[in-house]
Amino acid sequence: MHGVIIMATVKINGKEITVQDNTLILDAARDAGFEIPTFCYQADLMGIGSCRMCLVEIEGQKKLQPSCITPVLHGMSINTETPTVISARASMLEFLLANHALDCPVCDKGGECELQDMVYKYGPHKGRHAEKKFKFQEKDYALSPVIIKNSNRCVQCQKCVRVCAEVVGANVLGALGRGDHQEETSFFRHFLDCDQDGNCIEVCPVGCFMRLPYRYRTRPWDLKGADTVCPYCGTGCRMVIEHRDGVLIRSKAQLGVGLNSETLCARGRFGCDFASSTERLKTPLIRRGGSLEPASWEEALGYIKEHIPVNIGNKMGGIASPRLTNEELYLFQKLLRDIFGSPNLDSTARWEPEATEGFIKATGMDEGGVSVFDCMESDSVLVIGSHLSDENPVTDYIVRRIKNTRRMSLIIASPREMKLDSSATIKLRHSPGREAAVLDAIALAVNAGKPSPAEGAALKDAKIEDLIASAGVTKGAVEQIAQRLLAANSIAIIAGMEFLRHPEGIPELGLLKEALKSSGKKVLVMPALDRANQRGAWEMGVHPAFGPGYGPVKDKGLGCAGMLEAANRGDLDMMYIAGADVAAMHPDEEFTRKALLKLKLLVVQDIFLSETAKLAHVVLPGSSFAEKEGTFTNQEGRAQIIRKLLPPPGKAKRDLDVIRAVGEVYDPSFGPKMPVLVLDEIRNAAGMYAHVSLAFNNKRNTENKLDNRHALVQGSATSALSVTRFSAATTEPEGRFHLTTGNHLFHSGRFSRRSGTLLGLLSAAVVEISEKDAASLNLKSGDKVKVKGRHYEAILSLKTKKGSKEGVAFIAENYDDVPVNRFFKKGEPAPRVDITKVTY
Amino acid sequence: MLSERAKKEIEAALRKYPNRKSAVMDALRAAQKDKGHIAKDDMDEIASILEMRSVEVNAAAAFYTMYNVDRPVGKYHIQVCRNISCSLLGAEHLIKHMERALSIKTGETTPDKRFTLSTVECLGSCGTAPMMQINDDYHENLTEAKIDELLKKLE
Amino acid sequence: MGDGFKIFELVKKVLFTDFVKGLSITLGYNVSRSITHRYPDEEKWIPYRRFRGLHTLNKDEHGRELCVACELCSKACPTQCITVIPMEDDTGRGIADRVAKVWKVDLVRCLFCGYCEDACPTRAVRLGREYELACIDSRCNVRQREELLHPQPTPEAFEGGVVARATFIRKKRSIKVKADLMNTKKRSI
Repeated sequence: MHGVIIMATVKINGKEITVQDNTLILDAARDAGFEIPTFCYQADLMGIGSCRMCLVEIEGQKKLQPSCITPVLHGMSINTETPTVISARASMLEFLLANHALDCPVCDKGGECELQDMVYKYGPHKGRHAEKKFKFQEKDYALSPVIIKNSNRCVQCQKCVRVCAEVVGANVLGALGRGDHQEETSFFRHFLDCDQDGNCIEVCPVGCFMRLPYRYRTRPWDLKGADTVCPYCGTGCRMVIEHRDGVLIRSKAQLGVGLNSETLCARGRFGCDFASSTERLKTPLIRRGGSLEPASWEEALGYIKEHIPVNIGNKMGGIASPRLTNEELYLFQKLLRDIFGSPNLDSTARWEPEATEGFIKATGMDEGGVSVFDCMESDSVLVIGSHLSDENPVTDYIVRRIKNTRRMSLIIASPREMKLDSSATIKLRHSPGREAAVLDAIALAVNAGKPSPAEGAALKDAKIEDLIASAGVTKGAVEQIAQRLLAANSIAIIAGMEFLRHPEGIPELGLLKEALKSSGKKVLVMPALDRANQRGAWEMGVHPAFGPGYGPVKDKGLGCAGMLEAANRGDLDMMYIAGADVAAMHPDEEFTRKALLKLKLLVVQDIFLSETAKLAHVVLPGSSFAEKEGTFTNQEGRAQIIRKLLPPPGKAKRDLDVIRAVGEVYDPSFGPKMPVLVLDEIRNAAGMYAHVSLAFNNKRNTENKLDNRHALVQGSATSALSVTRFSAATTEPEGRFHLTTGNHLFHSGRFSRRSGTLLGLLSAAVVEISEKDAASLNLKSGDKVKVKGRHYEAILSLKTKKGSKEGVAFIAENYDDVPVNRFFKKGEPAPRVDITKVTY
Repeated sequence: MLSERAKKEIEAALRKYPNRKSAVMDALRAAQKDKGHIAKDDMDEIASILEMRSVEVNAAAAFYTMYNVDRPVGKYHIQVCRNISCSLLGAEHLIKHMERALSIKTGETTPDKRFTLSTVECLGSCGTAPMMQINDDYHENLTEAKIDELLKKLE
Repeated sequence: MGDGFKIFELVKKVLFTDFVKGLSITLGYNVSRSITHRYPDEEKWIPYRRFRGLHTLNKDEHGRELCVACELCSKACPTQCITVIPMEDDTGRGIADRVAKVWKVDLVRCLFCGYCEDACPTRAVRLGREYELACIDSRCNVRQREELLHPQPTPEAFEGGVVARATFIRKKRSIKVKADLMNTKKRSI
């Protein structure tokens, strides 16, 4: 029966409608244009039919039926507007209000509360319950630094519990008790040790879960909002940001809009307050006599003109942040290439340009966009090289949600434990940086399924043994993975940033993809990126080896590391850094600072006085994502619009205007002026964007399908990429732990450190090791430990993870007080560290 | 802390079910046998044995009135049914009466730790309503006089 | 008819009838009670309770602010002259832990319609009986929460609809008419 769709014809309020068999009555009725009120129903969550608001009358059945869990049957006749149904709704609301606190004037949800709307529309306007209202507690209690709870308002819909378990996977909320005394809360109302993503707040139809940073600050009708895209990771969640009197107050997701629907992570939901930070740069700064002094735009631009001659060529370099919009990035590379005639361009301080080029080729980014929902349609999904749960939380939600609703296998290969493990069919713990060996072993095992004439089976076995030894995995696990992959018709690989940290895995990724393709399988590869517009930056040609649309360039320039080396040698005099914090993010901090200080002119364009900006000669104040228009291209290759909500603070300008102003100093016709016009030029310059539609707004994704695939970029016809082989990285012999780094769940680069709320969630730096290692060192979670490497040592607090690989220590790259890049040294093997307990 | 006996009982229960989570009810019962109620630590321990989150164990335990979650009970645990049949036949009055007799409120324990009074859902003895259960025994067709006699006997 | 009428008119003119009539009204007023308020020098009109003057923010019997900063008044206001910014304060300043950080009304835009009173769920905002709202610069047109929380000179319980003895106080930047509520007299308008 696979693939055959059975249809059923039903009559709803006399109107005949044909829907797929097994459709819920609720969905069928909504399709037919009839409205049925609900509290507990949410398309993406398991139906529980607890609120009874959606009762309908089915002819031939005496009792009313809940339409949100009753599927249609062919020939059914359903009435949704009879007097019985209407009075049942009113009665249900009367019951819900029996214990509801009715403190709407105080409640933060007032004005956007589903219960208010529902009672207004369907409810009895008088209650008959004379009994005293039951109270769970007198005072609201905080569940975390961002979530506050008032159970007296609860309507027991259990959406919070379900979203926590089924979508977020944190499983820290439970429905305790029964009946009207049931309280959805944490274990003994303790502070939640969870993702702090606030999805429970978003799904709550009443004011039971509320956000603490937003508490008692405003009413929803005071807020002015803009529908935009999250500036943090590469998932590209759609969200609405809202301000009151010029202060960004909250960001929220919208049900059924964007690929994230109603979900966001902690960064997106609570981390956008950086835009209203008081530390924002408001005026241009010029270095005068050792310190940075405020200046006017004319002075700043004059200073630049004085110091950079037009067509300076190789002496100049430019680095643009992958948080700028496509339009700004395009104009930036145009400025560097056309005005200054410099081929030295990069979009990141963290990776080698050869590695990024290879990664783009191996993941097939130049072949066009790949939707995450298409990936999740596959029989088998392999997540490798990405700590998806921390780096791309919402991608993690999508993967978990869909994995739990269909038959498929999810394979996770990572050195560290992650939340998604609980949904995985197979999880593989390999040594850090050994993605290459893992992929090689899988590729060999996949081919081992078929007789290969070229190589003897024994030789192959020996090779696999070698690989699994170096990857630190078991043969059984690799064979299991190979079996799953061989059994699948379609396979999706989600490849993350570890490939860029350890680039020797990149060719292997390409090889595995080809090997699977050649055995007749449909293979999709989706990169998991950790910056909002990283893909856009590459596609706009902010890279030394290719231009817009991955097209070829006349002469290849230097990447970030190359530029710093050239600066250190004295071959590079000037740098224009837009948005990137090179000093904080480039491995080997000391060298970076030395190189940047040797520059004759360093122009930094940023929204905060970053570590790099502190070294600059000229600082130009730019704008945050909330203050400009443009487009972001997410990891899938989906171009989405970001919209302006606020004016830039003080004398700051939109980044596009800053870049254009610098260009106009040399060529008055440098432009275009408007983001839309730049996009038109991009459409001409990069064929991938020629037909991209920006109307991405999928209505609902019940079937995990998107309405609009035209938002995905197309393949590039002019792609000129090649994969470089990197020699395998070596590690230092000393030290018990292999040090790895990446993004923390609550942070993204250094930039999220400007968000007060996120800082409140995690203020002290944390080192993560496995539980077993901790036990053998006689340490426990929360202990203060000293992490000692060859070049740097720091005191951090310890966090243990049950399922992590032994011998791996993880320190996120986001801490100001413990810059993890100080552990690294240019040209030296990957660092190992020792961890000891600090005793006072 | 769970006793060795309780741990053994949980191990035995685990063998009955296809997955570990299913043994949660048995595990809670085993834990309650130890000291008459289930403490917070017990639930944490059960959660780690059954590979669940503590809050899930708590949710399972909190649903049933038979588990005394984080609530030590007296020597005699009086559980009065207050569902429809018993209520119609005066269960509410009996509860009030006992509250007066023991000078505690519903859900409380007497200071001498002898009696705990609580109300429960239907105990399946509607034919002999109103009724209550003291520890493992049913007491049916109750009247105020009958209750006074019973309480005296237990004292 | 014509001739008879003329004779009648002539007699009226000779006897000054109209003049006497008019003069009797004037003389009558000379001896009747005066209806002119000697405002602001000696008297002041104290309006009825239903009067809608300057806003007042009330407190409950324990001295806690009744306003919970729900912002319904500013939502209901047809001229959008009320601004409310809430904040959290659980020290017992208000009846709930939500109190107003800012509650201000722009009297130049206010049309004293009383919708804010109607919208208020806690009866915190009432339109009081203060009507001397003119001032010498535009800053004082916006009245802040702190000022409105002070009880108005005419207490809520006072019936009103009377003229009270008053003293006129002139200061450098303001004038004030202080009514003596103990010394009032009923007078119809």
